[in-house]
Amino acid sequence: MNLHVIGANLTVSIKSFYRDKTVVFFRIAFPVILILVFGTIFMDRGNEIFALGIQDLDRTKASAQIAHAIGLSGRFKITKVAPGLDATQFAKDHKLNLVLVIPKGSEESLVRRMKSDDPKAFVSLRAVHDPSSFGVSTKMQVLSMVLAAMNQKMSGKAAFIKLSETSILKKKYRFIEFFVPGIIALAVMTASLFGSVNVNAELRQKGVFRKLSTTPITRTDWILSTVLYQFILAVISTIVMLLVSYAAFNVSLAINAWLLVFVALDVFTFVGLGMILSRVAKEAESAAAASDALMFPMMFLSGTFFPIEMMPDFLQKFAKVLPLYYVNEGLRASMVSVDNMAALKSAAIIGVFAVVVFVLGIMITSFGDEA
Amino acid sequence: MIKDNQYAIEVDGLTKRYGGLLAVNNISFTVRKGEVFAFLGVNGAGKTTTVEIIETIRPLTSGRVSILGMDVTKKKRDIIRRIGVLPQGFNSFDRITVRETIQYFLRLFGRSNSEADGLINLVDLKEKSTEQFKTLSGGLKQRLGIAVALVNDPEVVFLDEPTTGLDPRSRREVWDVLLSLKNKGKTVFLTTHYMEEAELLADRVAIIHKGKIIAIDPPAQLTEDYDNYIILTLKSPKGKASEIIREVGFEPINDKRGDIKVRLEHTEDVQRILNAVKEGGASFHGLDVRTPNLEEVFLKLTGDSIHEETAGERLAK
Ligand SMILES: Nc1ncnc2c1ncn2[C@@H]1O[C@H](COP(=O)(O)OP(=O)(O)O)[C@@H](O)[C@H]1O
Ligand SMILES: [Mg+2]
Repeated sequence: MNLHVIGANLTVSIKSFYRDKTVVFFRIAFPVILILVFGTIFMDRGNEIFALGIQDLDRTKASAQIAHAIGLSGRFKITKVAPGLDATQFAKDHKLNLVLVIPKGSEESLVRRMKSDDPKAFVSLRAVHDPSSFGVSTKMQVLSMVLAAMNQKMSGKAAFIKLSETSILKKKYRFIEFFVPGIIALAVMTASLFGSVNVNAELRQKGVFRKLSTTPITRTDWILSTVLYQFILAVISTIVMLLVSYAAFNVSLAINAWLLVFVALDVFTFVGLGMILSRVAKEAESAAAASDALMFPMMFLSGTFFPIEMMPDFLQKFAKVLPLYYVNEGLRASMVSVDNMAALKSAAIIGVFAVVVFVLGIMITSFGDEA
Repeated sequence: MIKDNQYAIEVDGLTKRYGGLLAVNNISFTVRKGEVFAFLGVNGAGKTTTVEIIETIRPLTSGRVSILGMDVTKKKRDIIRRIGVLPQGFNSFDRITVRETIQYFLRLFGRSNSEADGLINLVDLKEKSTEQFKTLSGGLKQRLGIAVALVNDPEVVFLDEPTTGLDPRSRREVWDVLLSLKNKGKTVFLTTHYMEEAELLADRVAIIHKGKIIAIDPPAQLTEDYDNYIILTLKSPKGKASEIIREVGFEPINDKRGDIKVRLEHTEDVQRILNAVKEGGASFHGLDVRTPNLEEVFLKLTGDSIHEETAGERLAK
């Protein structure tokens, strides 16, 4: 290992980086855009206020009270639908995926129930909904809950079964807090893998490696330089992602030494894999294709965008052989649930993987053609 | 020991196979210190293979190769520090400037950044020193490559086709740089498929063909040894010059410029032909008498055209 040489390589890599605006965009801005887009789409679903249309065909004091009570729950932003209109057509025209229709005779039924306790007297509200619309089932569940609470109140008896919540997490955690560690892991993986594959394949193809093989630089110097360069960029990009997440979503994440550990392991693992790929695939294009083939399953199956518990069993088993899964798990353990034991376990697994891949990468890398 | 001091490169029975292909077939030669030695041959002749084996970056199949007295298969680390290499089709980092590129390679050899200026001046790139590599023309890239090959003040410099693909002007500019190397007394191993280049720069030329060296000598001697005839050219002839020449017993060749060329064994024949043409009432606008050049020797030896552009001018039959 020669520090002069590593310093020279770092200088060249960093200059090449900031002089290439496309690379800067994909490296720094792209992950930030992902965070902003997904963060906004899935912002605060727990306290979401749903749009709801209510059409009162009864037009009595009692029906008005029902509508009012639904409004009081605070979960809905209510649009009144005039009784003369067709509810279905209204829903279509106004892109409203749920319209509640209070039928004629509601007050009459209510009176019968109150006076004679007639079990056959009830009000049947009609929910006109668009089942293809995203989120409509959640909205209907929330509506059912509101109606159930109203029923229970009207019965005049105290509820027997109650539910109190205890979170396994120290704090209430939102989608964005699940998502940011995933994007950090993903961005570092992509950059390390693509960075090392593309740069190495290109330098090999253009004969720069052949020139380097006539200088005192060793492959260990070269690989250490690559790792160091990728690590520096990964740290910068992670800092930018975190700053944006704090500024835009006021995330609450624990930042500690584990973050550096997992970013470093992420870099080692995927630079190592990149070295192997760019050696195995001779042409620059096939190396890029191979890294795509490796990355896409990892991107969607290791819990970056959604928890792997949402996937069928066999896919969950598959996820557990993907290195990115452990980076995700580790980062979430350290940043979200602040569980040091869980973080340590993930770090150990990904650490072993990183060492194996990296040593293999060093072993098979060479500057020459070996012909 | 004295022998070791005299030779920069010693190649003995070198053979290289790529699977079934015999790329270099049992060649032997030596290069003296301070000599400019050229490998002349068509594409695929085995030039790069040989050169890269000597540079220690390609393994050999059999034979012995030593440079500066060190075996190339055993002393790679030591050899690398004492040689300079311009690989065929030199390339470097796209977005790094001329000066930064030279400084990078200086640092790889543990040398000081301050040496960059001298190298930049040597290859005449001062005005381009802040240009990025990807913006340089082919000739400038090659000149930068030569500067990079010199960062460690090497004892032996290898230049693999330094001017291939360059326009005539850029080629001349690269030659100027190479001539200054020659004047400095560096040992230079050059490969080329341009006759003029070998003729202009080399102290000795080896003609390599299908992996074998078929001739090796100083350029002047090659042309003398292998062809003892002269060529008379009559420029823009008028009248029946061709018939007259044929009548006195020689074979005229009309080249594509409309000139007449005649191959002669003896100098006296020049006078005989000129007299005959004059008496026959024909005329011409100029004449040229010269010994054959390396290209003609090459054609004779290999029966092969060295490069397409000059194939049409082939005259030795
Ligand atoms: N790495 C290689 N693998 C297989 N064949 C090769 C390799 N390099 C060169 N060759 C073959 O060896 C022969 C000599 O090539 P080369 O040394 O590059 O010739 P030159 O430099 O004179 O053009 C050619 O037929 C070429 O195709
Ligand atoms: Mg070649």
